Amino acid sequence: MLEGKLEQASLFKKVVEAVRELVQDCNFDCTENGLALQAMDTSHVSLVSLLLTADGFSEYRCDRNLALGINLVSLTKILRCGNNEDILTLEAGDSADSLVVRFENTQQDRMSEYALKLMDIDQEHLGIPETEYAASITMPSTEFQRICRDMQSISESITIDCTKGGVKFTCEGDIGNGSVTLKPNSSADKPELCTKIDLSEPVSLTLSTKYLLNFCKATGLSQQVTLKLADENPILVEYPLSAGHLRFYLAPKLDE
Amino acid sequence: MSLYQFLIAVRQQDGQQLMAETGETTSHLMGMFYRTLRIIDNGIKPVYIFDGHPPHLKSGELAKRYVRREEANKAMEDAKETGDTAELDKFSRRTVRVTKEQNDEAKKLLRLMGIPYVDAPCEAEAQCAALAKAGKVYAAASEDMDTLCFAAPILLRHLTFSEQRKLPITEVKLTETLEGLDMPMEQFIDLCILLGCDYCEPVKGIGPATAVKLLREHKDLDGLVKYIKDHPESRYKIPENWPYQDARELFLNPEIVDPATLDLRWEEPDVEGLVDYLVKEKGFSEDRVRNGASRLMKNLKTAQQGRLDGFFKVLPKEKTNTGDKRKQADKAADKTKKVKISKKK
Repeated sequence: MLEGKLEQASLFKKVVEAVRELVQDCNFDCTENGLALQAMDTSHVSLVSLLLTADGFSEYRCDRNLALGINLVSLTKILRCGNNEDILTLEAGDSADSLVVRFENTQQDRMSEYALKLMDIDQEHLGIPETEYAASITMPSTEFQRICRDMQSISESITIDCTKGGVKFTCEGDIGNGSVTLKPNSSADKPELCTKIDLSEPVSLTLSTKYLLNFCKATGLSQQVTLKLADENPILVEYPLSAGHLRFYLAPKLDE
Repeated sequence: MSLYQFLIAVRQQDGQQLMAETGETTSHLMGMFYRTLRIIDNGIKPVYIFDGHPPHLKSGELAKRYVRREEANKAMEDAKETGDTAELDKFSRRTVRVTKEQNDEAKKLLRLMGIPYVDAPCEAEAQCAALAKAGKVYAAASEDMDTLCFAAPILLRHLTFSEQRKLPITEVKLTETLEGLDMPMEQFIDLCILLGCDYCEPVKGIGPATAVKLLREHKDLDGLVKYIKDHPESRYKIPENWPYQDARELFLNPEIVDPATLDLRWEEPDVEGLVDYLVKEKGFSEDRVRNGASRLMKNLKTAQQGRLDGFFKVLPKEKTNTGDKRKQADKAADKTKKVKISKKK
């Protein structure tokens, strides 16, 4: 039996919106600790990993581990039936063949309830090894989104070079090339606008613009984003949530 | 394999093969050139494997093919006399043979394009499988199911079918196939031999379902053959002179070049060389050749997208409570597909 109540439907809506670009069908794994999701896109280039811990819910209960197989397109259709400010409740029985989604408006005078049919999804779980990242860059998520958006019209890939002095995003395409350099900065009154770089050694990765842009769908979830890089390893793009996280991994492009 | 397809399929409207002014056939080069470009445009780096000498076990199959070709030849002559163009076209396609020169021309083309190729000592499928197994390439692409028997971890079918046919590419994973059939590799090979391969005739009256059942009962072909011999009253007859042991040996220890000794390199195309060869010698359109060469250059430069599989390992499955949910229909379909694929051609 799963029962989870979120004070704001918007959080769940945005999460699903961000994941939907990469995966169509996936299992939501429910345990007593919270709601988790891990899935790769069909071409096995990127992986999304979501964790909504139990304390992120105003009420949460899950007595038995459940894997809810969900088609995200269908789930989106149902989530559109609720407003962002609504209180959202997710409910599923132990052998349920559907997930019940309930919306309650803030005035508590309108209640709606939808049931989504579940699927049996045979999904592989991947073990993600602990990686020692050579660089960790924390920056405003809107800035990251802007860079990806600006560069998408120039090149299919973006190279991220990180050194002590700053982080440089470059793109090279048929029409020309471009770069954006960000230097670490801190401002006490606006911590969400800070750029922070932790670096053990310089690192450079080339990544697909298309996938990075897909990750940017999560921009609305968090004011800051953290990029973690290690040479020849997948980049980790992490959007922290108030209780949990939304992480994206993307395999780099390889030079021969 | 592909060269045959091109010689058969790449034709003008009147059914004649494409020819240069000198009257040489160029269908194979045309097909090779454009198919390779299409593969590269889709971000795939191909390696071509050429067949070596056929294993002697294949002589039976080859003889049969020869007879069929002879028959077609005859029928073609007949059709010529009666002036039936549809028939003529049909049979002329069946008489196609790839000549040594055409093979060499194809190799020359690949060299100019900067695409690596390997001359297999024997069966090309075996070499493909070995390269895939050694991790030199991601998968073996072939229409021939034998590739799985040669233990290619991943087999791609319909990789280069015409886009118009809208056939999805099929990816067959060997481990999953074996898991689905619940069979060890040796038994799977036996199964394929039983159903008929290039080296052994199929046993009459045994289809995929029966074959799986019989092999489960008798464990392997040795057991099954012994059983049939000991029970002459059984419905099945083993063909005379049925060298299943040799066929098995051929699948298990094929004659191949050690993949570790092969250095596969994608190089820049020799644009002028291509123009000289294709345009001046073979009468291709210069614009198209130059355009193709620039596509080769572009794709060579763009870095290849890596995959996550190498970094993250699949965890063993945990049993979760999935309950009584709607089954994904393709799961059941998958099983039947897996049985079907072991039936060749």
